[in-house]
Amino acid sequence: MFFNSFHFAAFLPIVFILYWFVGHKSKINQNYILILASYYFYSCWDWRFLFLLVFSTLLDYLSAIQIEKSTTPKARKFWLWLCVFINVGFLGIFKYYNFFATSFSELLQSFGFNSSPLLLKVILPVGISFYTFHGLSYIIDIYYKRIYAEKNFVDYSLFVSYFPLLVAGPIERATHLLPQLKRRRKFNFDKAKEGVYQIIWGLVKKVVIADTCANYTNAIFDQYQSMNSLSLILGAVYFAFQIYGDFSGYSDIALGTSKLFGIDLLKNFNYPYFSRDIAEFWRKWHISLTTWFRDYLYIPLGGSKGSKWMKVRNTFIIFLVSGFWHGASWTFIAWGLINALYFIPLLLLNRNRRNLEDFTLGFNVESIRTIFNILLTFSITCFAWIFFRARTISDAFQYIKRLFENQVFTEQYFSIERYNHEIIALLLVFVLVEWNNRTKIEPISGKYSWLKLGLCLAAIVALGVFSDYKEFIYFQF
Amino acid sequence: MKRFALFTVKIIALLVLVSVLLDVLYTAVYLQSNSRNKIDYLYNSKDKNYDVVFLGSSRVNNHFVPKIFNDKGYKTFNFGITRSRLEESALMLKLMMERHYKIKNLILQVDLNINTNDHSEAIRSLFMPYLHQSETIRKYYSNIPEYNELLYIPFYRYMHYDAKIGFREMYFSLVHKRTNNLDNDGFHPLTKDERPMVAADLSKYYPKKNIAYEEIKAICKKNNINLIALTTPMCMSTINRDYFNHIREVYPEIHNFENAVTDDKYFATCGHMNEKGAIAFTKIVFDAFFKPKSNP
Repeated sequence: MFFNSFHFAAFLPIVFILYWFVGHKSKINQNYILILASYYFYSCWDWRFLFLLVFSTLLDYLSAIQIEKSTTPKARKFWLWLCVFINVGFLGIFKYYNFFATSFSELLQSFGFNSSPLLLKVILPVGISFYTFHGLSYIIDIYYKRIYAEKNFVDYSLFVSYFPLLVAGPIERATHLLPQLKRRRKFNFDKAKEGVYQIIWGLVKKVVIADTCANYTNAIFDQYQSMNSLSLILGAVYFAFQIYGDFSGYSDIALGTSKLFGIDLLKNFNYPYFSRDIAEFWRKWHISLTTWFRDYLYIPLGGSKGSKWMKVRNTFIIFLVSGFWHGASWTFIAWGLINALYFIPLLLLNRNRRNLEDFTLGFNVESIRTIFNILLTFSITCFAWIFFRARTISDAFQYIKRLFENQVFTEQYFSIERYNHEIIALLLVFVLVEWNNRTKIEPISGKYSWLKLGLCLAAIVALGVFSDYKEFIYFQF
Repeated sequence: MKRFALFTVKIIALLVLVSVLLDVLYTAVYLQSNSRNKIDYLYNSKDKNYDVVFLGSSRVNNHFVPKIFNDKGYKTFNFGITRSRLEESALMLKLMMERHYKIKNLILQVDLNINTNDHSEAIRSLFMPYLHQSETIRKYYSNIPEYNELLYIPFYRYMHYDAKIGFREMYFSLVHKRTNNLDNDGFHPLTKDERPMVAADLSKYYPKKNIAYEEIKAICKKNNINLIALTTPMCMSTINRDYFNHIREVYPEIHNFENAVTDDKYFATCGHMNEKGAIAFTKIVFDAFFKPKSNP
């Protein structure tokens, strides 16, 4: 069940009515309704994976209690590592086993040994990377005594399996979400209204921007050998908008949906393409994952303390792991590596904490510099996206090679029977709307909200892509 | 909660209003457009008289040159549409009757398309703007699974078929941006030859009784249209050319023209002739069934 499906359009009102009209009298009822709804939501992909979800929930729940009960550091460490090992083990088997087996076999072949790897024929359970990270953050927080272990299994299960965030985040923290689940939620009109606006804006991003861009991106990336330099440059730009529209659209729908139930989720995007350097970009892109890696990997490794070499090492580690988290492919690792290479100079020059404040533009040199920096950051981000989107690492290199060598900048007619210029106007309007509303959560609220709402609905209905359905990109992670 | 219920009702009302307005706008635009494709041309025309009309798929669209017939005194138009199947051809013929067309001869391609009773989603979509206006179209699609949604939910048909009749197509229709679909009286010549030519494989094809073909026969009989059903050429390297013999076993009245043109130089792809092939083939068909009315 996807957020942009008719199935979800029917599911959400039913859960909403049950939640506020049947279960509104107690927190227990509310949580039970959300748990059942979440398990139903997840089972719509493949009910067999429910067992995995429940097992993962049970494992983290019991391990956390054991860690808290343990009186010696050794016992605490034992339970922590046992839980981490099993969680990461599942992730490894489902997501990474085939990649390692194939890569190892290729390595052996390069040394002249013949080998045929034993591959697993398993489907990647949807959302496994997200709920595994949920559980890990909880366990680590318990280990470091930042929070107490949750004794109520229903509350904890809801923390892991809450349907708005179950399949593609945001990756929540127990410190943020659990306290909200521990008390009865009261209906708040303003919050719910904000949620509806956010859902509608998320749908605009997904079905209008991301899915339209996807048609162009696919046409260009699938036939990059016959594309000229202009099309290849635009292909990377379209993908940048596709993945942003897709993932931030998904996050908006998730956050908006959650607000309907009186629960706030962590913000996942903060207009990342208006960043003035790559460090700012990473503070604004997939915030819940970035901060997860910062808190549970980067800081335990020493963070930015210690020698320059240590800082560089830690930066490389988190970017490579972040790339690898996205998928078992060299393309994602290369994408992480490139971002690390972008980040290192800022780190070494102590410039990674600049651009923390908001900015406004005017008619002055500083503004020109800001715009230049934004465009430069966007350009290098697009370059890195080529690796993220390419089917293989060699496709990515061939794509870039052709981009620089071809040197033809005429407009091409694509196999999807479209010209480039047809989408440019749409993207410019989108950028303008985002720019004008970059201090807000969504652009609909405020003055003339009904007019803006009408325009958004018209855009979804008239400009949305419905016949060629595309699922959310981050579901595969 | 009451406020939220009211807010939700307002949003739903706004959505319905937006959908109705867009539906009215799109339909109005399509109803005044007659230069984008053969279906809008057909729907927005009336009382046409034709001596010969061609119907079928790309193997008509790319194979029959109306000029050859027109030059010999026969008013002719090629209504073949790439990717259309017999189901769409039957509907086009019905629509011609609804629009009071007078047709003396119908040349219908019946070869590969007789293999299936299925429809073409891409071509079906082109009829959808006229769903409310045309009883013929409504009746024809009354049994398809999504009929009620297409008919009663405002704008649903334009969302469902957004790739074909969505915003882009509506905009081009609005500004009367012409396509080449109606040039050359509907004939679209193929100018690029695929070399080396990939042989077509008909081993999975098997001709069977076709509902739409039966419908076309009935319409022709009822309206005194002389139906000429024929096969059209395919390159000689086609695998399982025996398929064409099986067609005659199912429908003996179908004329076999698959061997009318054989030289590869006349083919753009194995299943489609180039312009030279189309001209040669059209002359052969003309000579087989017609005599010149006037000297060129």
